[in-house]
Amino acid sequence: MNDSLLAFFTAMDNQGGVIVRDTPKFDLDLYIQNYRGRTRFDRLLLIGRSSVPLCVDALKAAIAEAKRSRDTHRYREAVECLRIAAPSEPEASFDQAWLESTEAFNRAETHRLTAELKGYKNNLIKESIRMGNEDLAKHLESTGDLNGAAEMYSKMRPDVSTPKHIADVGRHLVRVSLQRRDWGMVSAHLSKMGSSHNAHDEDSVSAFLKISQGLSYLGQEKFLEAAMSFLLTNPAAPEASFNEIASPNDVSVYGGLLALASMDRKDLQTHVLDNPSFRTYLEREPHIRRAITQFVNGRYSACIASLEAHRADYLLDIYLQKHIPKIYADIRSKCIVQYLIPFSCVSLDTLNTAFGIPSQPIEEELFSMIQAGTLQAKINTIDKHLTTVSANPRLKLQASALKTARDFELQSIDRLRRMSLAAADLELKGHKKMGGHGIVSSDLYDEVTVG
Amino acid sequence: MDHIVSVLLSFPPGNELSNAQYDKAAQAHIKKIDKLVEENVPAFAAAAPQCLELVSPEINSLSYLALLRIVLADEKTTEAQRVGVLPKLVTFLFTFDPRQIRYAGNILSAILRAIANRELLPDSVAVDSLATAILRINPAGSMLTSHHISLVQLAYESNCIDASIPVLEKTVVFYPGMKGAGEKPFPSDMTLTPPAYITVDSGLTTKLSTTDVLQYDLLCGLCFMAKRMWQQAFDALERVITYPTKDTACSKIMVEAHNKWILVGLLLYGKTPSLPAITSPGPQKMFATLGKPYASIGKAFESLTPDTLKAEYDTFLGQNFFAEEANRALIDLVMMHYQRWQIINLRDVYTKISLEEIRARTQSAETCAQLKTEKEIETLVQAMIDEGMLNGVIEKSEDGSKPAYLTFLSLTEELSEYEFGEKMLATAQRIKELAPIVKATSERLATSREYIRHLVKEQKREKDGGSRDIAVAFESSIEDEDLMTGIMAGH
Repeated sequence: MNDSLLAFFTAMDNQGGVIVRDTPKFDLDLYIQNYRGRTRFDRLLLIGRSSVPLCVDALKAAIAEAKRSRDTHRYREAVECLRIAAPSEPEASFDQAWLESTEAFNRAETHRLTAELKGYKNNLIKESIRMGNEDLAKHLESTGDLNGAAEMYSKMRPDVSTPKHIADVGRHLVRVSLQRRDWGMVSAHLSKMGSSHNAHDEDSVSAFLKISQGLSYLGQEKFLEAAMSFLLTNPAAPEASFNEIASPNDVSVYGGLLALASMDRKDLQTHVLDNPSFRTYLEREPHIRRAITQFVNGRYSACIASLEAHRADYLLDIYLQKHIPKIYADIRSKCIVQYLIPFSCVSLDTLNTAFGIPSQPIEEELFSMIQAGTLQAKINTIDKHLTTVSANPRLKLQASALKTARDFELQSIDRLRRMSLAAADLELKGHKKMGGHGIVSSDLYDEVTVG
Repeated sequence: MDHIVSVLLSFPPGNELSNAQYDKAAQAHIKKIDKLVEENVPAFAAAAPQCLELVSPEINSLSYLALLRIVLADEKTTEAQRVGVLPKLVTFLFTFDPRQIRYAGNILSAILRAIANRELLPDSVAVDSLATAILRINPAGSMLTSHHISLVQLAYESNCIDASIPVLEKTVVFYPGMKGAGEKPFPSDMTLTPPAYITVDSGLTTKLSTTDVLQYDLLCGLCFMAKRMWQQAFDALERVITYPTKDTACSKIMVEAHNKWILVGLLLYGKTPSLPAITSPGPQKMFATLGKPYASIGKAFESLTPDTLKAEYDTFLGQNFFAEEANRALIDLVMMHYQRWQIINLRDVYTKISLEEIRARTQSAETCAQLKTEKEIETLVQAMIDEGMLNGVIEKSEDGSKPAYLTFLSLTEELSEYEFGEKMLATAQRIKELAPIVKATSERLATSREYIRHLVKEQKREKDGGSRDIAVAFESSIEDEDLMTGIMAGH
């Protein structure tokens, strides 16, 4: 790594960004071809800021992408990054002429569209107003004013007349909310869309719905719900209908990983492997399919190993990046739990060979798993083994019966006491509020020998 | 003199008396003594010390008490005589006849009050005799009296708590001044429930205020804390916290109790206790605001490292907060217990763990660091085992092939069907023993003026309501008919 790259990634690290040193398995050009629209730039910039090997290439591609659009803010952002990472590149200097002309054009266009919209409003033609709003919103979105775009898109709503329009408004709003990472709003818009869409364009709309729903759940760390949404994505949907948010490969990765993190073996078999519609997606990412099969077949260490091999790829995904450590940890602890099910006692050495990472012994992990309650077992560090704790229903029953009886007794006494207090008119009354009763103060009764 | 003695010895008569007869005889005897005293006070007072030798405190309790009063109250009694009488007073308080004493509540109470004011006896004897006297009046200790309150104050202030524990441990369910006690029974009836004979009229207690009751339970809590009886202290404080209130009222005593309750809860359970559901909403709000420092201490206590706890502690210590709240000693104990609870919590994860690992995994909250040597951990763990906090054993191998380690023993042993049955039966028995109290309470409630008024009103309404319902039903059926005919006609 040369000095400027080092400085760049140190800065990124200080900002709390994720840094991926391994080379990912995908090819940047092929990868970005899968997408359309504004997500291309977002993804490129994320890779540029996170991946050490791909940094300069991705940033350069991002600058090119930004220049093709009319979003000057993005252009500045990408160039700023590249200026630190690779100052010697020709793209690293601002194209002042382009910036000025684009900004001037943007201003003029905003002005023109606003004026047009005003005209439509005066004419009171609903369809024109709707289109005027849509044009303005699209323009704002392309210049990067997402708040303004969201506002204009939602202004389309009063003037919609056909189901297609309703679906369009919904799509626009969901897309903008996704870009703003506002997961709650994504869900809100989706529920409005889900209740109104009809047979028209069924395939494409439903796939878009499911994927954005899944992303929204993923953003809120609801892994099981997210997995179910991805698994239900319609395989017949044309790629173009949703590739402005995710590619079919992404659907397969998101669905597969999240299912692994949240389902047990039986559910994985029925909902993922035996699911004919998801199969189409799964075939695009054979290693995910392999990992799931390995998990279902009980070859947990192989499953973990094949997932680890692709960790770098997933860390460079715009939606997954933040959640990968949690997802991987979930899968790992699930593997350990599943591994232990058939045993009542396992030696720590065996576990270490099955799951151990050389740098850190498994004991620490088991410790936190048991404390978090995910693993029902106890460690014996003297004889070096792990015993699983079997539930003893008889003991539980006895304990709960004794507790119930005791509680009943105490409650009865307390009720009697309260009735007596009420009868003796000794309840604390409101009018003597605070201070009136403050007789026992620390001056009067100093603490005696507690210590 | 002889006349005096013969009068004094005339009660109780040798033969068995019914409750009514006993009542009459006792009243008459008191009158007789009063008359004797009135006729010739100096003579009676002069004869009193000698009479005390002749009259038995156990059998002739009423007479004995009258004599004691005269001796203690008479101005001519010399200091030496007074001191000489005191052992007799103590004997009396330990042995008096509980049936007779019900007729001399005022005199007894006056003497008990004087004792509680530290006028007569040294503190330790005073606490002991007060406690014994209270339990002789009401062996179940189920009724709170003004003497309870003076006892607990005296015990706490003089730090002679041990002797008062038997009284403080009793479950209190009755309070003086309860309304709805029906007709006046004979106090001589030994089957009476305490509220029937311990009344303000009988002089065995005075009327209590809300503050008295709250203060009693708070002081009970403090006494138990001083004796390190954490469970009892916790329960006592909880009684203060859940005290019934009206109109969102909250007392300062309750807030104080709540703060101590959190700290005791930490010692006892290793985590912040949750407020009982019956806590009134007013105090709940007050606790949330005024108990904030304690809540944050509690939260820090539950965290896995002692850093936050130590930081919180130091901040508050800097402001002299705990000293002002009189919780300094308690909070120091909480700090000391942090590591202990860390060790106890290891129980959920390990069956056996070496002492060295315990050392590495736990930190002291006082220093925010691990203990330095394995030896220190061993002492700590051994102390916990000895105090019964931890169920486990420290094992060391003879040849040194293995490190010394701690084995956690199971907390709850599975009981055999027989043992389990026994335990359940014992609880059932204790609940059955509540039956008389329940009966007394429900009788009292059923005969109270409010309830009867309510009952009459209810019955009246039922009568009225029934007839009105029929009328409504009738009317509506007519209306229906009308409608139908209308429609029919329309066709």
